[in-house]
Amino acid sequence: MKPAKEIRVGNIIMVDSKPMIVLRSDVNGSSRTGFTYKWKMKNLLTNSPMENVFRGDDKFDVVVLDKKPVTYSYFADPLFVFMDEEYNQYEIEEENLGEALNYLKDGMECEAVFYDGKAISVELPTTIQRVVAYAEPAVKGNTSGNVLKEAKLENAIESKRHTIQVPLFVSQDDTIEVDTRTNEYKRVVRN
Amino acid sequence: MFPEKTSTSLAIFCKVVDNFGDIGICWRLARQLQSEHGVAVTLWVDDLKTFQRICPPVATDSETQEVAGVTIRHWRDQEGVFAPADVADIVIEFFGCDIPPGYIAAMVEREPRPVWLNLEGLSAEEWVEGCHTLSSPHPRLPLTKYFYFPGFTGKTGGLLRESALEDQRRQFQSDPAQVAAFLARFGVTPEEMAARKVSLFCYPHAPVRELFDTWQAGAAPVLCLVPEGVAADAVRAFIGADPVAGAARTQGALTVRVLPFVPQPDYDKLLWACDLNFVRGEDSIVRAQWAGRPFVWHIYPQDENLHHKKLRAFLQRYSPDIDSANAFNLLWNGAMGEDASVADAWRPFQEDMERIAGRSAEWQAQMLANGDLVSNMLKFAASKR
Repeated sequence: MKPAKEIRVGNIIMVDSKPMIVLRSDVNGSSRTGFTYKWKMKNLLTNSPMENVFRGDDKFDVVVLDKKPVTYSYFADPLFVFMDEEYNQYEIEEENLGEALNYLKDGMECEAVFYDGKAISVELPTTIQRVVAYAEPAVKGNTSGNVLKEAKLENAIESKRHTIQVPLFVSQDDTIEVDTRTNEYKRVVRN
Repeated sequence: MFPEKTSTSLAIFCKVVDNFGDIGICWRLARQLQSEHGVAVTLWVDDLKTFQRICPPVATDSETQEVAGVTIRHWRDQEGVFAPADVADIVIEFFGCDIPPGYIAAMVEREPRPVWLNLEGLSAEEWVEGCHTLSSPHPRLPLTKYFYFPGFTGKTGGLLRESALEDQRRQFQSDPAQVAAFLARFGVTPEEMAARKVSLFCYPHAPVRELFDTWQAGAAPVLCLVPEGVAADAVRAFIGADPVAGAARTQGALTVRVLPFVPQPDYDKLLWACDLNFVRGEDSIVRAQWAGRPFVWHIYPQDENLHHKKLRAFLQRYSPDIDSANAFNLLWNGAMGEDASVADAWRPFQEDMERIAGRSAEWQAQMLANGDLVSNMLKFAASKR
């Protein structure tokens, strides 16, 4: 069993004997009871969404799910299609992809997560490389420091392009490394 | 009004962590539920000694007793086997305290199941509105708890307020003889009555010595009334003797008087009688708001200075345009940096006192419009039954 404070977006937990995927977690400071966790979840059996609130020390059974390496193939509105090594195709709803959608790219390798034989979400590698699709021009002489600017990353669905904070010296068309757990810029990848 | 007024039972589980705040809130809640709504209340509390300080009739050695129509049970531990019939219609766990597993098991067996509320802490932060009344399904049992937040907007549960409180306050404050007689009980002389009267209730880390220095060196006389045990080191240093009830000393423009620890109704009167109230935690800040007088809040400290965030959220709602009030409150809570001084922050605060008092009255009207916590909570519970 895991306390709520250790549950991450994408985890499947059992709530009153129902498997629920955590789609979004908003953590808020509370009084002395510690943090309050407001989760948007979806019942994997009925697809019905729920919004609930928990204390950080509420404990849940986390369901360990089967995983399989897959690559992203194409978007068959409204489903995202992934393929494994044996060319089996798995369709996953946009809502279940959560933040993975921000980094989705044709041919991208990731792990599909299965519940009861059905692919329900994907997990990304911890770090990935992406090309900067748009950023304001680099500032001359500014190669270090803490000042940041916004950069849009290249991905499969243009309308879903993700914006992250990068240092001023990062330019359009640079390839950068991003931590998918925190959505933080790590470094520029120089060839 | 709760539809099953005469037959509704309600249990409050209270763990005393923050001195008098927890039991202070729960006791007010219990009494109002019983006296104004006819609810049969059982208050489970783990620390009867602290309870007795704010409610002297409470016996500290009794397992079960009745005070002011409320059944009080000593909550000794997490053990115990309970029957479904032992479970109330509405169960409140205060501040997320863990109620005994045996009681929860009995809640599952009870038909109909009780309405289970986690009454949370007071905060002006915006996220509270998004979590207020949200359900919290039990991870393993067929039970649903609801988070219930007191607060400062119509999207929260409002603040604790007895229906007669406002009339009582007006009547008291409009009768100088009554105010004088009340303060005379604590040794306040007619000369001291003419000074700026301040009540002081704070946690030990408040910069009380600096405040005393500032008042002592000031031009206007200040009478500071401090309950026994509060700011003990600073009071001892000022008085030059043990800060026991009845001790007093005047130095420069400042007189400090130590009061006995007073029961809740008298604490309200103390707030009403003073021109400025320093309050701490959750219970007393709510009472200070109903007093309609300027106040300074010493907020319950939290790790990583999360309480500063809570304080700023409150000030943003309460006094967004009164810089002096904001600065003094931030300073009092150590949120202004090491260079800030009490003397520098006190001067503009003092000059703005009339304006702050005006704001107190407006704020009170604003809070009244949100209804009171107990009535709002009973309406919500009725909607879940």
